[in-house]
Amino acid sequence: MVPLENYLVLSAVMFSLGVYGVLARRNAVLVLMSVELMLNAVSLNFVAFAAYLDPERITGAIFAVFVITVAAAEVGLALAIVIRLFRNRATSNVDEAAMMKW
Amino acid sequence: MGAEQAWLLAAIPAGVFFVLALFGRYLPRGGDYLGVAAIGASFVLFFFVAADFLSFYDFEAHKTFITESISWSEIGNFKLRQGIHVDAITIVMFAVITTVSLMVNIFSVGYMKGEPRYYWFFAVLQLFVASMLLLVMADNLLLVYISWELVGVCSFLLIGFYWEKRSATEAAKKAFITTRIGDVGLLIGIILLWKETGTFDIQQIIHAAEAGEIGQTYLFVSIMFVFLGCMGKSAQFPFHVWLPDAMEGPTPVSALIHAATMVVAGVYLTARLLPIFEAADGALLVVTIVGLTTALLASLIAFAQTDIKRVLAYSTVGKLGLMFVALGAGSPAAGLFLLMTHAFVKALLFLGSGSVILGTHHNQEMDKLGGLWKKMPITGTTFFVATLALAGLPPLAMFWSEDELFASVNHEWGLWALVLAMLAVFATAIFMVRLFIRTFAGEPRDRQVHEHARETPLVMTGPLVFLCVLAVVSGLFVFNGVGSALGFPGGIGEFVFLEEPERYAIDWTLAGISLAVAVAGVLIGAYVYWGNSLVRSTRLAEAMPRLYAALRNKFYIDEMYQYVIDRGVLGVSYVVSWFDRYVVNDTGVDGSAQVTGYSGSILKYLQTGRVPNYAMAITLGVVGLTVAGLLVRA
Amino acid sequence: MTFDEGQGYAVLATLAAPLLAALILVFIPGTQKMAVRYVAAFFGAVMLGLSIYVFVAYQVDGEQIQMSLKWVWVENTAFLGKDGIVLNLAVDGISAPMALLTGVVAFAGTITSWKINYRNKDFFILYFILLAGVYGTFFSFDLFFWFFFYELAVMPLYLLIGVWGSTRKEYGAMKLTLMLVGGSVLIWIGIFAVFNEANLGTFDMQRLFAAGNDGTLSPTFQKVFFPMFVVGCGVLAALWPFHTWSPDGHMSAPTAVSMVHAGVLMKLGAFGIIRLGIQMLPVGAEFWMPGLMVLGVTGAVYGATAALTQRDFKLISGYSSVSHMGYVLMGLATMNQIGITGAVLQMFSHGVMTALVFLMIGALYDQAHTRDMKDFGGIAKVMPMWVVFYAIAGLANVGLPGLSGFTAEFHIFVGTFQTYPVFGALAIFAAALAATYMLRMFSMVFFGPFNPRWKDLKDLTPLEAMAGALLIASIVVMGVWWAPFTDRIGTTVAALPGVVG
Repeated sequence: MVPLENYLVLSAVMFSLGVYGVLARRNAVLVLMSVELMLNAVSLNFVAFAAYLDPERITGAIFAVFVITVAAAEVGLALAIVIRLFRNRATSNVDEAAMMKW
Repeated sequence: MGAEQAWLLAAIPAGVFFVLALFGRYLPRGGDYLGVAAIGASFVLFFFVAADFLSFYDFEAHKTFITESISWSEIGNFKLRQGIHVDAITIVMFAVITTVSLMVNIFSVGYMKGEPRYYWFFAVLQLFVASMLLLVMADNLLLVYISWELVGVCSFLLIGFYWEKRSATEAAKKAFITTRIGDVGLLIGIILLWKETGTFDIQQIIHAAEAGEIGQTYLFVSIMFVFLGCMGKSAQFPFHVWLPDAMEGPTPVSALIHAATMVVAGVYLTARLLPIFEAADGALLVVTIVGLTTALLASLIAFAQTDIKRVLAYSTVGKLGLMFVALGAGSPAAGLFLLMTHAFVKALLFLGSGSVILGTHHNQEMDKLGGLWKKMPITGTTFFVATLALAGLPPLAMFWSEDELFASVNHEWGLWALVLAMLAVFATAIFMVRLFIRTFAGEPRDRQVHEHARETPLVMTGPLVFLCVLAVVSGLFVFNGVGSALGFPGGIGEFVFLEEPERYAIDWTLAGISLAVAVAGVLIGAYVYWGNSLVRSTRLAEAMPRLYAALRNKFYIDEMYQYVIDRGVLGVSYVVSWFDRYVVNDTGVDGSAQVTGYSGSILKYLQTGRVPNYAMAITLGVVGLTVAGLLVRA
Repeated sequence: MTFDEGQGYAVLATLAAPLLAALILVFIPGTQKMAVRYVAAFFGAVMLGLSIYVFVAYQVDGEQIQMSLKWVWVENTAFLGKDGIVLNLAVDGISAPMALLTGVVAFAGTITSWKINYRNKDFFILYFILLAGVYGTFFSFDLFFWFFFYELAVMPLYLLIGVWGSTRKEYGAMKLTLMLVGGSVLIWIGIFAVFNEANLGTFDMQRLFAAGNDGTLSPTFQKVFFPMFVVGCGVLAALWPFHTWSPDGHMSAPTAVSMVHAGVLMKLGAFGIIRLGIQMLPVGAEFWMPGLMVLGVTGAVYGATAALTQRDFKLISGYSSVSHMGYVLMGLATMNQIGITGAVLQMFSHGVMTALVFLMIGALYDQAHTRDMKDFGGIAKVMPMWVVFYAIAGLANVGLPGLSGFTAEFHIFVGTFQTYPVFGALAIFAAALAATYMLRMFSMVFFGPFNPRWKDLKDLTPLEAMAGALLIASIVVMGVWWAPFTDRIGTTVAALPGVVG
């Protein structure tokens, strides 16, 4: 069996990539994809821990399903916003979407 | 119809007030006949009440009274009852009020003919009389205060009857506010007396005061507060300023205010509470001093006035002062007797001047009158009688009452007060003669006015004649024989008593002096003011320019008050308004809003609107918290 | 259904009538303005009738709290024990006259609003929600619902003033709402503190009152939290120095809102001080009452003084409200039966007479579009009935015997003299100042030479006259025959903790 550490390291790498993507990317779609990456990293953690710590029940896996559901909803909403933004501003650059500040 | 039903006297005019106020404008002639009928009914009922009262009046004990009351409200131990109390004082006041008001009402039918708001005049007149009647029969101080204020508001409405005139409105306002300041004292006094005795019932309070249940200082202070109210209503110095201005109202109203209602309320209340004044050391002295000051001051000011009604107003102020002097001497009989005779005489004088004003088409400046006697014989004659009566000549009414006043003052305070009181009477005699000569005698000063003058109709001269008769005979009530014939043996001096009534016996020495003083006054007045030339009086005025100016300007008291009000009261109000706007509101309330807004305007720069900034903040926050958590655990 | 239970439904109906009115109005199209008016007037009349019924049906010799109705809402869950949150409606001797006041003023306000044309449907919906809040506050014996209704009464004001108001309406509305909500925050914190400290798991007021009396709420706790309630409720009662919303708010509010606001809402504040302060925290009340007395006297004299030189009608009324609510606070602070009874009388009296004053101001302003008194003069010539009505309101304000103001002030003065003679004298003096500012206004506006600029002014409309007549009737009844009021109030006040006879 693959040791737990491997999963955790993979998950950490994915998460860090996600954080980097959110912070560094300017394209809204890429930012969204980075957020998804972070969520997936978390889901991976859930599943891995569930399999190793409490194999009898699948609480972690259920939680992962919830995360995926929420993520799907979130992406749906977020993409809609991005499309509206693109329609109105002809850009998907998040730096230019700063109309709501003071 | 017994004395228990005395409340009907007030209830009938009060009911008519509502009828006239609501429907008067739709009635033919504004419903004036209803007004006359209501007061007439009160006048007739008065005789029944008086007869019933005298029928079981106990002339030995002198403590007869009839009282009826009903429970009004109850809050725990705070029980209020309202009721009536009829005794000798009430009966005398009833006599004065009903008689004078009836005459004034009848006179008004002629005088007010064709005025706008005719019905409203009669409506308020009813309420005025009703409140005054209620005031004199109230058995408790709360009801006294209630009717006292109603009298005040009626006077406000009547003085300000010609509201299109700015001066009338101002006079009404002045009357109401000046008396209201006195009323502050009255209410404080009433509540202070309640606090110590636990009741508003006048007789119980008097009883407690006489039994010494109230501390001396406390009693003095509270009765002085009550007296403030009396001073305000009865136009005593320094509250006298409203009364002369009050002649802005229709002349019949002046007659009513000066004779029967309003101003006599203070005298009445002082007479009613006189046992309390006697129980409080020094209170009577204060009453006397206030009375004397007012009497002298008013008599002096009256010399230099030219408006008929204004002269009469100051003479009222002076006579009211003398009434307080009589009460201050501890003699309610003298005070009320003076009140009664003065009421008839003064009502006659005011109605007479009203007759002059109407007869000369609204002229009341003496400088334009003169020589009216021939043109207006009835008015002139009755006015002549009234002038002599007010001057204090026998056998007219006021001679007898003033004689009783001198007797009691001499008995209580001695020579100094007697001299001062006589001085006031002397001055009155002079300026009344001046008034009469300038109006009725001599050559007309203004041909135009004189030509158009005419005698007034019977509805106005009738009351004049009636009051003239009273002005002659009402002084005789003082005699035992007259009193016995009418059912109160011993005369008025024994009828209105306090304790140990001093049987009235004419002190011929005092009467002689009094007669001499009055005659001297009349003669001097006639000497100075006779004829048309005004030479002597003008020379007199020129000899003392400053004094004359001071008199003419009423000792600048009104100006002083105006200054205090403008600079003092209104100044404080401006300061408070400013404070409220700029300190409490703009600094305190809006200030805190501005602080909030200002901090927001600074903190808003944290909101860049850039998603990566927020993401970075979140990341750093998470990292920071994690590190902090690890450190803490380590 | 027992008799008392039936009575309870009468109380519920009184509370439900305005809510039902609001609900029905929602389904009437906004274009049907006449239908909206008729429905509003109908429910106004229903509320008046029910309020009179509640007042009359309150048994003078019966229990303190009558017509009780309890519907459990939440109990035995989480932190709530038995009777956790209950819709507990009842009437005592203080809320009975307050209900009557609400009915009278609400009906007068409803028919006065007949002439509102701009979105009158929305106006009446908010107006009735506000009234439901007022009734609910007076009837609730459950702390949670008390506060719920209290907020329900305050919140619609913002929109009512902000949308239908006049002079600087946004400022007035915002200031009023923020200050009142600030007060509510204090009350809300206090309510939770009391709930926590009593630890009974209930918001039932009667059990909390008992807790306040038997020492469950410790004296220190009471002393700390009493000022919070007094300030929180005091803001609404124009407690000095938290009164400045009153002049500004009244200046911008539309007529009917001014009437209801000054007439009824301000009384909620004083009512809250009785309920939450005196009844729930008696020890705190006893400790702090001298302070409240000082604030009350200050407000009474200060308001009267500031009113002396104002030139705007509504500012005069705003400041005189500060002065008169100062009397209410004084009466409460006496902590004796006469004084507190006087305070409740004054709440009623000030309610009806201020409603009348604002009704009159509105009737003039709608035509003249100015409220500067210097512009007027001799108005009695063109608007005689208006002048008479206004004069009666003004004289009631001044404390003329025979009108309600005197009855109330007299009791307050007597009560104050029992404990604080000097403050009592000051208060009587302030009443003389009231005469001065009122008569100043009379002589500037009603009387004097007629200003021909106003020759086209119309006198009161029949509806306004009807509303005014109703208010005048209340003023006169209370001024002449006050026993029905004192009977109800007096016994309840006597049962308040810490009140001496």
